Amino acid sequence: MRNIIDSLKSKFKLGNGEQKKISEILLNNAIYFIIGGIVLFIIISEPTFLSLSVAKNILTQSSVRLILALGVGGIIILQGTDLSLGKNVGFSAIITASFLQSFSYGARFYSTLPDWVWNVNSLGEVIGFQWFFYILVLLVAMIVSAFFSAINGLVVAHFKVHPFLATLGGSVALYGILLLYFNTSDAGPQPIGSLDSTYSSFVGIWHVFGMEIPLLVVYSVIITGVMWVVWNKTTFGKNMFAVGGNPEAAKISGVNVIRTTVMVYILAGLLYGIGGYLEAARVGSANSAFGLNYELDAIAACVVGGISFSGGIGKISGAVAGVLMFTVITYGMVYLGIDAYYQYIIKGTIIVAAVALDTRKYIKKT
Amino acid sequence: MNNEYLLQIKNLSKSFSGVKVLNGVEISVKPGTIHALMGENGAGKSTLMKCLFGIYKQDEGEFYLNGEKFNFTDPKHALEHGVSMVHQELNQVLQRTVVDNVWLGRYPTNGLFVDEKKMLEDTIELFKKIEVDIDPTKNLADLSVSQRQMVEIVKAVSYDAKVIVLDEPTSSLTQNEVDKLFEIMRTLKKQGIGLIYISHKMEEIFEISDYVTVLRDGNYIGTKVTKEIDIDTIIKMMVGRDLKHRFPSKSHTIGEIVLEVKNLSTTYKPRVKNVSFKLKKGEILGLSGLVGSRRTELVEAIFGARKRETGELILNGKLIKNDTTVQAISNGFALITEERRETGIYPVSNITFNSTIANVHNYKGITGLLNGKQMEKDTSKLVRQMKIKTPSNYELIRALSGGNQQKVIIGRWLLLNPDILLMDEPTRGIDVGAKFEIYQLMLDLVSQGKSIIMVSSEMPELLGITDRIGVMSNGRLAGIVDTKSTNQEELFKMTMKYL
Amino acid sequence: MKKVLTFVTVLLFVFALAGCTSDDGVVTIGANIYTFNDNFMNGVVRPELESYAQELGVEIDIVDSEGSQATLNNQVDTFISKGVDVLVINLVDPAAAGTIIDKAKDADIPLILFNKEATVSGVMDTYDKVWYVGTDSAEAGIIQGEMMVADWQANADWDLNGDGKVQYVLLKGEPGHPDAEARTVEAVKAFTDAGIEVEELAIQPSTTWSTTEAGDTMAAWLTTAYADEIELVISNNDGMAFGAIQAMTNASYDIPIYGVDALEEALAKIGTGDLNGTVLNDGVNQARATLDLAVNAANGVDVLDGTDWVLDSETETKAVRVSYVAVTADNYEDFQ
Repeated sequence: MRNIIDSLKSKFKLGNGEQKKISEILLNNAIYFIIGGIVLFIIISEPTFLSLSVAKNILTQSSVRLILALGVGGIIILQGTDLSLGKNVGFSAIITASFLQSFSYGARFYSTLPDWVWNVNSLGEVIGFQWFFYILVLLVAMIVSAFFSAINGLVVAHFKVHPFLATLGGSVALYGILLLYFNTSDAGPQPIGSLDSTYSSFVGIWHVFGMEIPLLVVYSVIITGVMWVVWNKTTFGKNMFAVGGNPEAAKISGVNVIRTTVMVYILAGLLYGIGGYLEAARVGSANSAFGLNYELDAIAACVVGGISFSGGIGKISGAVAGVLMFTVITYGMVYLGIDAYYQYIIKGTIIVAAVALDTRKYIKKT
Repeated sequence: MNNEYLLQIKNLSKSFSGVKVLNGVEISVKPGTIHALMGENGAGKSTLMKCLFGIYKQDEGEFYLNGEKFNFTDPKHALEHGVSMVHQELNQVLQRTVVDNVWLGRYPTNGLFVDEKKMLEDTIELFKKIEVDIDPTKNLADLSVSQRQMVEIVKAVSYDAKVIVLDEPTSSLTQNEVDKLFEIMRTLKKQGIGLIYISHKMEEIFEISDYVTVLRDGNYIGTKVTKEIDIDTIIKMMVGRDLKHRFPSKSHTIGEIVLEVKNLSTTYKPRVKNVSFKLKKGEILGLSGLVGSRRTELVEAIFGARKRETGELILNGKLIKNDTTVQAISNGFALITEERRETGIYPVSNITFNSTIANVHNYKGITGLLNGKQMEKDTSKLVRQMKIKTPSNYELIRALSGGNQQKVIIGRWLLLNPDILLMDEPTRGIDVGAKFEIYQLMLDLVSQGKSIIMVSSEMPELLGITDRIGVMSNGRLAGIVDTKSTNQEELFKMTMKYL
Repeated sequence: MKKVLTFVTVLLFVFALAGCTSDDGVVTIGANIYTFNDNFMNGVVRPELESYAQELGVEIDIVDSEGSQATLNNQVDTFISKGVDVLVINLVDPAAAGTIIDKAKDADIPLILFNKEATVSGVMDTYDKVWYVGTDSAEAGIIQGEMMVADWQANADWDLNGDGKVQYVLLKGEPGHPDAEARTVEAVKAFTDAGIEVEELAIQPSTTWSTTEAGDTMAAWLTTAYADEIELVISNNDGMAFGAIQAMTNASYDIPIYGVDALEEALAKIGTGDLNGTVLNDGVNQARATLDLAVNAANGVDVLDGTDWVLDSETETKAVRVSYVAVTADNYEDFQ
């Protein structure tokens, strides 16, 4: 045991030769130990939890949440928040689903779509959409989400409205627009289902090297990688942290604070668009309630992962850890068959405890 | 073209809604010189700088940079032309590293990505150039104020600055750190950089500057060669009257012991270790020491704002607890904090709120609601007694000058009628005239039989106003000396005792 | 003080204006939907209320109560101050019926409650001009249960482990919602009444009846130790069933599953065999009955005047109950 501690000590050696205490290591990586603890607890209670299919499910269910958390994470780094996330994702999902319903389904949102979108086989039967149409719909969903998010960003940056209120108002207004669109359906305001099979297969399984990898996980890994580069290796990313840490300092140093803020919101919007596009395929249908409370999960995951509400602090790895923790808790409790009412209590308690523990590393003791 | 001067400000005037806040101001900075700019708060120093950096547009007057007429549009524009400012309230991104802060706003890129390696190498190069020893990969939050200041200076140098304005850089530094800063300033001077040095501290002006320019009420009073004048001349120029003594005369008598602190140690870092001393009735006890010698922590521990591990407090012969600030207040203690803006004032509240907030429960009527009239009355009394300069009690406190804010805060505690006042750097960042009034107030208080513990980094102030001086060194009390029989050298030696 | 006075004056003025609606003889109806997020209420009932109102030549104003009874109370106040002729209210909280009835009574405006029935006994008797149009919460569960029992008995191979017991999982919906509670009890009771033993493997509520949550829950169940023992999925509405079906498809499972509501999408899924059955919550007739009663009440005639509706004589005399219909592969095309 002593050896382990010593090796841990030397591993976390600081530049000036000072050594961190074990308790500090625990504290600074609290979130990882909490996840580890929860997983360990579930495995001990139900050893079958330790299986490939469970891992796959947890990663799949985390994927879209992670994409959304990465979007709102940037906004939180700016000392902001985004309550319109859920509605934005919902709108993206509804737009996507409304265009990509299976041809054979009678009560389609758009009972007629122009001929050029359909992929027709030699017998003249419709077998799906033209490949570019899938991309076109994705772009439309992303642009619409980015547009509404950009408005939030402008209101925050230019009119100096507190992000809580700006995005709350944005969320309410967006819900109205969403309902208006939802009601234009040729089939009436019905849940939009029977989605095109090719589109559904985008979130299916990728068979490679004899392995079955959920495509959603692949997407989210790619997006996470891209976001890591954006946050850490680009001028935009560094400016984002600077504006979040001290807007005044950033401004004096010649950073365009308004543009940076709006760009962070636009980036978030693009991710919400992608999230909605993928989530509709994963769920298999979309309705006006789609995305309800997604913002709370995403924001909580970020904060649990150490992206601080006070701005300027946060890591991609934190967002990943936060999202994973959420999914593991939710999944694990269903898996263990814990009474749903207790589930709420346990989940709420773990969230607050995790943040409290995580925050301790920033607090100076008095 | 006359290129004798790096920067010249000529005949500068500026009015706000008809009130002239700057009138015919002139400053000329030669390469390789340090030019001190002095004046009481409100004399127009900061307005002058704002005009220079393009935040305000002057009504009259010109700026010349290397003999060429120039007008900066914003601080960034000025930076790019070699004129930069190190603000008193450092505007930095604390959550990020030194490197990130130095290059903020102009990160070098290779194609799409930021070139971290180049940034780091360039920073190390700069640090070498002006002989600063700071780990550039550390977060600013982990550095001391003086180190952060140096980062700011490095940033200015990185813009190839020709002129650097330093706005009260020493107000929160200890002697050691000031010496280090002066070394760097001299290095910069040797490299031909012109410095404008804004400060209230006379001793420093004489130590470091070559020229002194004085402003008073927006008027340009004059520029002198520092070597040719003395403190009294400057004070005379600044206040326009003969302020014969910087300190009021003392006439109070000292009584019995009121408070005894025995073996006090604190639980958490930064720790105070085993401090014992006695405080007498009607006495001003100074606390000297370097920044980081835990003077603030000591007074916080006495006040119950910091957890004590061991130690007893004996007030008038009775053991008291002071485990919480509430207990301390009811035991007749008051703490006037160091960081006025951070922990003292409620900036967007008015004077009445700020002066009555600490004992608001005393204004509860029989209904349980607050008696607003009484609060107004007491505040008005305070404003009169303490000569707080304000248009009304409804003025937001942030609109007042630093000295007047400090008076409101002291007044807040006086309304509680405390017996023992703990004052942490009560005169920091306020001008000579206001300092004098604070000193007078402190002497009035001890004449009424109250006792004061005063933390200060300014040795002349401690020597001028206190009765005894305790010196902290690395968390311990290095000793207590009688003010009349000590000097700066002795005090300075004591600060090093436990290092 | 001056500001306050000005404000109050302006407020009074606005209210005075709002109160002055001209009475041109057209019946005006103040109606709500407890939340537009409810697929069935928003997708089936609301469109029918609007189109049928047009058919009857009455004006209807439908607001979204956003799932908040407090919001609904405010909306009712607004309707009353606007001077509507009749209130058509879809309660958010069935226990809060008394408040709404009192408001209507004070204003002497007839009130039709629809779709969510008052749960406090006797409250309907406190006002002579209040009626209820809806269904019997329990009935959907009974019909769903009977449908499942029939299919279970017809398909011996559904009993995977051959123990004669039904091992099921249940997606409940919002805890405390009368439909969710009643369906949960009745669907299972149908089996026991038919002498078939049941075993509940898992039950999961979802406060928002969320398709996504149901899907995630089903995915989790399908990785548990008892995944291969699940013989039946009971979903208390179609939306949650869709999520579960998606999860089963992803995990290559095909377990019999039943929903409630008979949404268009559900009918399509019955067609493809993904969904085994659903129960038609006859929203169209609920909406029509509601409006028929409302218009009669507003005109001061007997509420059943000129209609085919009958008051439920079994329990009390102030409720019209629209029946549920079982929808299976045999008859789903009739409803498309």
